[in-house]
Amino acid sequence: MKNVFTLFRQFTIQLPLIGALLCGNFACEESVLEPKPVDRITDDLVLKDVGSAFNVVNGLYRNFANLSAINIIAGDMSADNLRHNGTFTQYIEIGTFNMSASNGSASALWGTMYGMMFTVNFLIEGLPQLDDIPESLLNEFLATARFFRAYGYFAGVNTYGDLPLVTSTDVEANSEIPRTPANEVLQFVEEDLLFALNKLPTDPDNSGMLSNGAVKALLARYYLYRQDWTKAEQYASEIINGQNTANYNLESNFVDVLSDFSDESILEVVYSANDNPGTSTNFGLNNLFESRREIIPRNEIIFELQSNGGSRSQMIEFDAALAVGNDNGWTVTRYGPFDNVQVIRLAEIYLIRAEARAQQNKLQGGLSDLNRIRNRAGVPALNLDNKNRLLTAIEEERRVELAFEGHRWYDLKRTNRDDAVMSAVTSNWTVKNKLWPVPQREISNNPALAGDQNPGY
Amino acid sequence: MKHLLPLVFVFAFLSTLHAQQRAVTGRVTSAEDGTPLIGVTVLIKGKSVGAITDLDGKYQINLAPQDEALIFSFVGYLSQEIPVNNRPVINVALEEDIKTLTEVVITGYQTKEKKNITGSIVSVATEKFAEMPLMGVDQALQGQASGVQVVQSSGTPGGGIMVRIRGNSSISGSNRPLFILDGIPIEDGALSSRSFGGQQDNALATLNPNDIQSIEVLKDASAKAMYGSRAANGVVVITTKRGSTDKTKINFRMQAGMIEPVDKLDLLNSTELLDLFQEAVVNQNPENNPEIAGVKGVTDLVNTDWIDAVSRTAYLQEYQLSAQGGSNMTKFYVSGSYRDEEGVIHNNQFTRFTGTATLDHNASEKLRFGLNLSAARTLNKRIKGDNFLDGVYSGALQSLPWFSPYDEGGGLIAPGDVGYAGFPNFNPLAQAIEPRFDTHTTKLVAGIFAEYEPLSNLVFKTKFSIDDNQVQEDQFEPSTTAIGGFLESVGGQGYGIYSTSEFATLMNTTTAAYNYSINKDHQLSFLAGFEMLQRTSRSSNVQGILFPSDDFTYLTSAGLVFSGSSFKVNSGLVSFFSEVNYRLKDKYLFTLNARYDGSSRFGRDKRYGFFPAFSLGWRVSEEPFLQNNRIIEELKLRASFGYTGNERIGNFQFLEAWASSTAYNNLPTVVPVNLANTELQWESTAELNVGFDLSLYQGRLSVTTDVYHMETSKLLFGVTLPLTTGFGSIQGNIGKVTNRGIELGINARVIETPLTWDLNLNVSVNRNKVKEMATDEPIFSGYQTSTNSTHIVTPGQALGTFWGLKFLGVDPATGDAIYDDFNNDGQITEEDGQIIGNAQPDFAGGLTSTFNFKGLDLTVFFQYSYGNQIINFTNSNLLNSGQSIETNQVRKALDRWQKPGDITDVPRYELDNTFNNRFSSRFVEDASYLRLKTLTLGYTLPKGFVDRYKLSNARIYVSASNLFTLSDYSGVDPEVNTFDGSTASQGMDFFTLPPVKMLLVGINIGL
Repeated sequence: MKNVFTLFRQFTIQLPLIGALLCGNFACEESVLEPKPVDRITDDLVLKDVGSAFNVVNGLYRNFANLSAINIIAGDMSADNLRHNGTFTQYIEIGTFNMSASNGSASALWGTMYGMMFTVNFLIEGLPQLDDIPESLLNEFLATARFFRAYGYFAGVNTYGDLPLVTSTDVEANSEIPRTPANEVLQFVEEDLLFALNKLPTDPDNSGMLSNGAVKALLARYYLYRQDWTKAEQYASEIINGQNTANYNLESNFVDVLSDFSDESILEVVYSANDNPGTSTNFGLNNLFESRREIIPRNEIIFELQSNGGSRSQMIEFDAALAVGNDNGWTVTRYGPFDNVQVIRLAEIYLIRAEARAQQNKLQGGLSDLNRIRNRAGVPALNLDNKNRLLTAIEEERRVELAFEGHRWYDLKRTNRDDAVMSAVTSNWTVKNKLWPVPQREISNNPALAGDQNPGY
Repeated sequence: MKHLLPLVFVFAFLSTLHAQQRAVTGRVTSAEDGTPLIGVTVLIKGKSVGAITDLDGKYQINLAPQDEALIFSFVGYLSQEIPVNNRPVINVALEEDIKTLTEVVITGYQTKEKKNITGSIVSVATEKFAEMPLMGVDQALQGQASGVQVVQSSGTPGGGIMVRIRGNSSISGSNRPLFILDGIPIEDGALSSRSFGGQQDNALATLNPNDIQSIEVLKDASAKAMYGSRAANGVVVITTKRGSTDKTKINFRMQAGMIEPVDKLDLLNSTELLDLFQEAVVNQNPENNPEIAGVKGVTDLVNTDWIDAVSRTAYLQEYQLSAQGGSNMTKFYVSGSYRDEEGVIHNNQFTRFTGTATLDHNASEKLRFGLNLSAARTLNKRIKGDNFLDGVYSGALQSLPWFSPYDEGGGLIAPGDVGYAGFPNFNPLAQAIEPRFDTHTTKLVAGIFAEYEPLSNLVFKTKFSIDDNQVQEDQFEPSTTAIGGFLESVGGQGYGIYSTSEFATLMNTTTAAYNYSINKDHQLSFLAGFEMLQRTSRSSNVQGILFPSDDFTYLTSAGLVFSGSSFKVNSGLVSFFSEVNYRLKDKYLFTLNARYDGSSRFGRDKRYGFFPAFSLGWRVSEEPFLQNNRIIEELKLRASFGYTGNERIGNFQFLEAWASSTAYNNLPTVVPVNLANTELQWESTAELNVGFDLSLYQGRLSVTTDVYHMETSKLLFGVTLPLTTGFGSIQGNIGKVTNRGIELGINARVIETPLTWDLNLNVSVNRNKVKEMATDEPIFSGYQTSTNSTHIVTPGQALGTFWGLKFLGVDPATGDAIYDDFNNDGQITEEDGQIIGNAQPDFAGGLTSTFNFKGLDLTVFFQYSYGNQIINFTNSNLLNSGQSIETNQVRKALDRWQKPGDITDVPRYELDNTFNNRFSSRFVEDASYLRLKTLTLGYTLPKGFVDRYKLSNARIYVSASNLFTLSDYSGVDPEVNTFDGSTASQGMDFFTLPPVKMLLVGINIGL
């Protein structure tokens, strides 16, 4: 039928007046039927040279940003730090330990994580094909991609347990992918992190970008979770000593930790006014915690911060006018409107080393790491010579120091303390609260996941 | 004497002559109003001799003895043959010709005589809606045409209206029909890009319905096929008034009236609500302190009726002045109008200026040209609503009665003041009054055409048209509002937005029409055309915060302009179309038509589509065996089959794509947004239609019936993907939906004289069914619930099916809700979701009854819908069993379970208990209704009276709309939808402002 158009064009060329009227005003077939999109580009153009690759790599930070905020909800609200205070079902369900498989937060974290995996895998497949890419840059880009893949799967496996391990951009294969046992996913995470090691800059522009310190820090956290105490201590020490990393220092005032790009920040998510947290759907923390107060601190953490927090109690505030009905009147105020979100900072590294050392019975070293954090917060130093008591003290310290940074639930689970602690908090605590549900839409749309829901859902 | 003889002879002759000739005189009047008819032809039967009535309608005629009867005929009136029977005076009252089958119908590219039409087309003439207080032309179709469903989404002036022709055929593409105004497709949905929580604007509200001559709804494949790829949802062809060859008529019309909410939701007062909340708190844990802290003292003093606080009696006024006339050479119509309609919510107002002109000129016998021009400017002062936490009506329904809109000094309570409700209720009155949400729309529809007729049966026509819509949104929320003041992360110190958008369609249509008659028995006509269309949309917006004070309300004063964008997108169509009509002996009618469309919305491989249709008509009444039948005036059987398409899926869906996202750490980013599907193509609808048009007793009773079966396949569909792919969905062409239905339209003149009573009834029955989908997995839409979502799309069910738990009642022992354990696993989980209702009516339509008596007339218009259901989602907040204690509750909450043994259908109240408030059939209600839509009483002043003042006509009327509605629905009104225009998520009432009732007076004066 294109012949008809050809004929028609010939016809209009022979009759200049009609031709001018029809094609002059509208231009002809191609321009009418093949307009160019102004706001998007296609796969073949998005990764065509080094310059374009920067944009795709930077795009990964967007997924990372979205993931970090919801990871905080998961880590603090699934345990005894935060609870719901609004009408949104998804938060009421988390706050009452009664999540359903269609919970919006469960699919948001899952979807954000796998959205990130698509770009990671797209880069891993596409970057080596670029003609003009220098070896070092290729390695840096690949290290960035694989770090984020590790970060995503690590968060995912801790939240959902066994995970579909997506390692390609093949849409068909990824639509029918079964879950891989958590242990294998974790080995994969380790491989990615070890690949990324020593390929990223030691001292990037700011801690909003990946660095070798961030890789080591995530390795330290990884080995802590894996209870490989030696390696956890080793990587923590390398960061504290500045071995092939930037020079991180504990802030002397805890309040300064909450500001952007503090001296102890190893990795943080950068927000700016452009992110408009009030209207974006990606869990603007300030909006949830302060403006709308959908989520407020639990009485348990308020008590901890009041009695054992020292300067860290500045993360929350009380307003008597708000204490209506079931509302305790407290607000998490640590996230200002456009504040960055801390992902890994030096205080956590000290606490990782304290715990790793205590587990290896290096009690003095462990205690000294712990007391560095306590000193900074202005609470009295401890003097303990019992491994178990030291470990308990570290658990409590992590709770207050890292409150509202998404650690509590994961900490309780990895130390198998979740049942003991949470049963005292709520009668709703059951085996199902150890993991978030695989989103119902995944079970429904992926035949390989049919019937493979987490226990209790 | 010899001179006398001839004289005598002459006298004798004359007297003989006198004896044989009779003079008959009389007066011809209109049967309708008794006014004299001037220029009526009075013919002697069997002769070509006659007379014409004079200015008083009088005539005189001489008859020969053998003359038996006179025939009176006049354009637009039924001819009458009256036997003389030696009477000297014969007065006749002629009746207007209401035979519909001789009307002409505009089918878009052509004008045809209705008797020759073989497709299913329903016409709504201007008289049907001229006196209704309509905002837009889409409302004119409500209840007037079988097969057309019109639902007004809310009571907001200038708001969204859902129009469906023969049901819903698409799941994710648009189901709105194609609206054609004077040949060009015009914007029909929302123009505004800003969200108002479901309260959309409506492009059709920018046109003045009183500039419209007629609306034709093209329903079957034969009628629609000329619009090919865009026609699957039906086509609405709108024709602007044009001039006439008569002397210039000047017409003035005005309407003025008042508007009130139809009804008000019955909410609890402070004392009742506080008791209920305390019960909920104690039920959660007996050790809880039942004191609702910080409130008790206030409660004794304050009991605000928030609905009254935000609403008002509103006023409507409309004026129009028009002139219509011309000569044999030139015809014109010009008109200007002004309309100002307030909303019943404070600060809500829609103002419109329109100007319209049409011109037709015959330059020579062979060359004609003309134009149509409609321009409008509207100002829509909007308010947020529905699913917006800071909406006004939604806020008023939810707000706790112990808060007050005003402080002791009479000022509006603002964020930071003592007594400000804060999140989530704010101060709804301030939310209405304080912000500026002005949407300015300028619309221009223009067309110029030339027609050249080189031979008497060959016509070339070309027309250039434009539909241009400019929208400017000027918004500011000061620090006294939720966004501008309370939510610091969002606005803090004021929040301003300015956005502009333009939607322009440019089009050229060129046609050639040729008529050919071999002889009287074989008549052929051909039409072929070429059309090129380009739509451009451009938009931009900037947003700013941190204003120095509320005295600065424009972005030029914003401390931080944090967001801005500009955007442009083009789409286009290139098409050929053709139609062949063949009439055999004026009895057997054949039509073959087709369109070949190329669309920019599909990839290179699937860009072109072919849409043919074929139809047959048989005018049975022309057959010899019915020629002498006195009952049947006209009977035509029709049948058609053909294909049409739907391309409305948005642009570039076939491309894989990456888009820019917000910069990270001041670095630009791109992220994937769409998966490619180069095979993406049109939805295709095959449609079979069989019907008949029957006219009996000289047109006093006419019946039109159609039966149809439509099957839409290759549905444009966002196929859900597991998120493990990195994407939520991919556009595909999968699935089938069918619509089957019966339509019946009856027009009857029940009583003729002296009182005339006309009755018009239409009934539409449509059965919609999803036949196939991409996978067996259903698609969920609507609002999220514990069983996934409120709506489901699944094979075997209609679109608009509700999904949730089945509520079986309240356990008298515990007060907990009992739900159906659908999968029998002993627990209530998301797996127990099931179908719990549907928004589709069993049947729907309208009934209009018009009485005329000596210039007095009464029109009663009922509209009805039966068998449809609605989700009262409002009650998931306002009858929430204590899930939260942040919102007021409806009176039914007082029926809650309180102690063992209570028999009720309202579960007990317990704070934080989500189980009893899970979405279930408890919130699904019957939404059948019968509504007295309009009642109009008018008086047309007598001819003699208006003549004295040199007027051609004068008329005064009062009209009321939405006077009463019979319905079992416990919400305010069943005719609302939060998801304005949605297909899958119909029948949802979530804090939606109900329709309003209006009472108005109107005057028409013609010069």
